[in-house]
Amino acid sequence: MFTKLNVFATAHAMATHAGHRHAVIARNMAHADTPGYKAQDVKTFGTLVSESSDGSLFRKTRSTHMHGQDGLDWKSAEFTADAPADPNGNSVSIEEQMLNAVDAKRQHDQAMAIYKSALTVLRTGLGRG
Amino acid sequence: MNEFSNTLKVTASALRAQAMRLRHTAENISNADTPGYRRKTVPFESMTGSGDGVDLVKTGRVRLDGGRLPRIHDPAHPMADANGHYQGSNVNLMLEIADAREAQRSYEANLKMFDQARQMSASLMDLLRK
Repeated sequence: MFTKLNVFATAHAMATHAGHRHAVIARNMAHADTPGYKAQDVKTFGTLVSESSDGSLFRKTRSTHMHGQDGLDWKSAEFTADAPADPNGNSVSIEEQMLNAVDAKRQHDQAMAIYKSALTVLRTGLGRG
Repeated sequence: MNEFSNTLKVTASALRAQAMRLRHTAENISNADTPGYRRKTVPFESMTGSGDGVDLVKTGRVRLDGGRLPRIHDPAHPMADANGHYQGSNVNLMLEIADAREAQRSYEANLKMFDQARQMSASLMDLLRK
């Protein structure tokens, strides 16, 4: 358990994913009145995990770290959401983005809670609980 | 952390753009009775290529509404022509109020996103606390 710390890696990946999704949603929201803008979204964390070739979370979500490139992996997980567009070509629905943002926030909170609890377990193991 | 600063940046740009839109709406409303005044509108544009792949929102050049100015009959008006008509403004108050309300809603939504991003980064910082 103490050599790989999978829980921390997973929680980190989950929080990063939530942060990225939140950024994408914020961009949508900011462009809610820009003509011709198409709403974007990010694949769910679950889909990304099951899509990674060997199921290893490390490679899939932290490749940015290992290869020293930023954002490449997340970029490929983005897709244009299929939604009806306004007459001016804008397909952002503020209500839907609001719900998505709450979703992302909850995922982030969840990851934080997992991280914190695992930290407590480690601390208890060290006898400083 | 970088994502959060991107979020804050793009949201702030949207807040600025909506505030600018509201300012022009206010100008229109206050000039609703100015003779010869044409309604002002600002287009929203996406500002791509600002470095780190964040496309911020910006307002473009102010446009004047090309709609016809109404001819108002008032011979006593100082600007009236020989027939007793002068040109009014083409501001439609109903339209301006609706526009202002829409700008307000968008502003609130963006403010909410800003606050949410702030909370998320604050919870991240809380991990460092015992």
